[in-house]
Amino acid sequence: MKKGIKIWHFLLFVWILILLIRFELLLNTYELIFSWITLLFSDSNTALSQLNFDLFDSMFSGVFFIVIPILSYIYRKKLGFLYEKIFPAALFLILLITCFLFAPLISNKNPDFYKNIGTTKLLPPLSSVQVLHFKNNSTQPGNSFFPLREKVVKKSFDESIQYVDSASVGEKIIYYQNEIGKEANIEDLVMQGEKPYITQQIFMLGSDQFGRDALTRLIYGARISLTVGFGSVIISLFLGLTFGFLAGYIGGLLDSVFSRLTDMLLSFPIIFLVILILALFGNSLLSVIVVLGFSGWMSLFKIVKTEVLSIKEKNYFISSKLLGLTKKQLLFKEVLPVIIVPVIVNVIFQFGNVIIAESALSYLGLGLGNNYSSWGAMIQSGQEYLSLAWWMIFFPGITLIFTLLSANSFGLSLSRKLNPRLQND
Amino acid sequence: MRSATAKLLFKRIISSVIILFLIITFLFFLVRISPGDPVQKFVNPTLSPKLAEQVRTSLNLDRPLYMQYVGFLTSAIQGDLGVSYTFRRDVISVILEYLPFTLIFTTISFIIQMIVSFWLSIKSVKKINGFLDKTLSNLTLLIYATPVFVIGVFLVFIFSELLDIFPSSGASSFDADGFNFWARLVDYAYHLVLPIITLSLIEIAIFYKYMRDNLEDVYNKLFVLNLRANGVSEKDILIKHVIPNAINPLITVAGIELGIMLGGTLIVEVVFGLPGMGRLTVGAIFERDYPLVIGCSLVVSFLIIFSNLLADIIKALLDKRLLAGSLN
Repeated sequence: MKKGIKIWHFLLFVWILILLIRFELLLNTYELIFSWITLLFSDSNTALSQLNFDLFDSMFSGVFFIVIPILSYIYRKKLGFLYEKIFPAALFLILLITCFLFAPLISNKNPDFYKNIGTTKLLPPLSSVQVLHFKNNSTQPGNSFFPLREKVVKKSFDESIQYVDSASVGEKIIYYQNEIGKEANIEDLVMQGEKPYITQQIFMLGSDQFGRDALTRLIYGARISLTVGFGSVIISLFLGLTFGFLAGYIGGLLDSVFSRLTDMLLSFPIIFLVILILALFGNSLLSVIVVLGFSGWMSLFKIVKTEVLSIKEKNYFISSKLLGLTKKQLLFKEVLPVIIVPVIVNVIFQFGNVIIAESALSYLGLGLGNNYSSWGAMIQSGQEYLSLAWWMIFFPGITLIFTLLSANSFGLSLSRKLNPRLQND
Repeated sequence: MRSATAKLLFKRIISSVIILFLIITFLFFLVRISPGDPVQKFVNPTLSPKLAEQVRTSLNLDRPLYMQYVGFLTSAIQGDLGVSYTFRRDVISVILEYLPFTLIFTTISFIIQMIVSFWLSIKSVKKINGFLDKTLSNLTLLIYATPVFVIGVFLVFIFSELLDIFPSSGASSFDADGFNFWARLVDYAYHLVLPIITLSLIEIAIFYKYMRDNLEDVYNKLFVLNLRANGVSEKDILIKHVIPNAINPLITVAGIELGIMLGGTLIVEVVFGLPGMGRLTVGAIFERDYPLVIGCSLVVSFLIIFSNLLADIIKALLDKRLLAGSLN
């Protein structure tokens, strides 16, 4: 065995870290899942009507948090990469994928949550504000599901708290927001023993112009980038494999049509095409994924086609063709195992390109719209506040650069590792 | 030889025309299959239904699809791309107003890219795996992984906000109209420093990588060893033998990169608020000014096809083997 920190060490470290920091939230999540399932049996209509994306998201990240470690322990023999030595690119990609899967567990806020903009807007990194907790009068009747959901699922608004610059406790509570003093009765506040319950809210990476937490938005932005990346790469992979195989296998007119098309699309600045299509068909998460997927299959097509052309002449391919394998079987059994390495490497680079394209589209305002906290959109809004808030461009920019760097270097090291010719040297 | 050149030229021009024709067709059907009433795409939605009906007739939308297509094609060939309703002028005249800026901007950037990447690659190939070579190849990876707009915003932050050396946006000062010719030129140059650096950096990284690998390949060839054994000076080897051999593939790449650079200018122009084609296109999209969007896409495709054609012709003129090949 090689010495040094391996990938599974790091994965375990991240898992324990989340477990320790968010222990209470995790417990609440499991209680929530349990109460939702009981509700599903007792009153299925209510349960299903309450099931929106946020709830689903919270519950699923809770389930994954247990299932994924168990599964990877059971199948550890098959997952050889777990025993590889860790390198910076893999480390960063693991962090990103963790954010992607467990975003509701890692961050304790909704990415769109804002409150008391005057107090919280454009706060520098590591600054903190005090939080006053008011009593919540609205109590939901019945099942334990609703109060649990209040605790677990982060809402984009919260009536019961106030962010304040400073607060002094006397007969009444006097608190200052944006240098305006306000009063509140002590009875309205949540008490902890004799004193009112006042907590600190730390903005690790600062806040934006609406007082939203930049770290939370970065974590949720990782989700957007990875979703778009994976989604469109799968589409490109499908198109590239199919077209490449067909063009190489059938050849003739089909081949020349596709080759011309590829040359044309490769020389055309894809971003013009993409924004044109997004402008005509409207921009949403799905359309961005589809358009980027459809505009990225050309290099895969070239790889697959050239390989298929050479494989077509080989004896093993001809014999399996004569055995009567269908085109699909030929592709998956005879062609794919041969070309899997260049295809995987190409897919990883394509992944990086798609993330660049998505962030550029979001920067231009043609991405996913304002509903999502995309990194590109964060940089775009940061540019407006450049003189006031450097952190608004710095952190998303650095994250973007690191993501792409690690995707590229991961692709390079993978191609070095998987390439048998290089291994023999 | 002359007839061979003519033949090659003819072949390339024909295929370019076909590609342009395909693009026009593609654009036409893209607009037609997109959801929504086509009239709404060509007319400001706030106008009256009666006018919309007039426009429907004038755009031949009441005729069958193939007639519409023929109409679109003929008017596109005649240079009539419709009327932009945000500018209330012919699309072509709006584009002609914005195009020169982008052309000059990309040309300057292109020249700078060529000179810098060429110079750097020659410097670094002199000592392969030396300090400069390693630093530059790492730097190339970093720049290659950085989106254009991030470079732009970071440069604005460093040089406009922190150091306050260069202006953060615009192509000229607001009082530039009062300047004389030279002062105006200096003003333009001063405003364009950051945009040109932003646009050039990533292309420099690509060209540098390509050029360096090419030069290294040629240096490893046997004829270089032979020349060295014959006592030819290193300078002569580089200038007379290595560079001419290494430069050829670069021209193809340059032709393609010119197209990709036009996509890059789109973002750079938005970052720095420059009055060029890119910002015109993005603005037109936000205004839902479809005639202008389609016009911009057509002009950009034309430019790209033209630059690819030019690259092919230059390559053919430099490399006589290609002409010989075209005879067979």
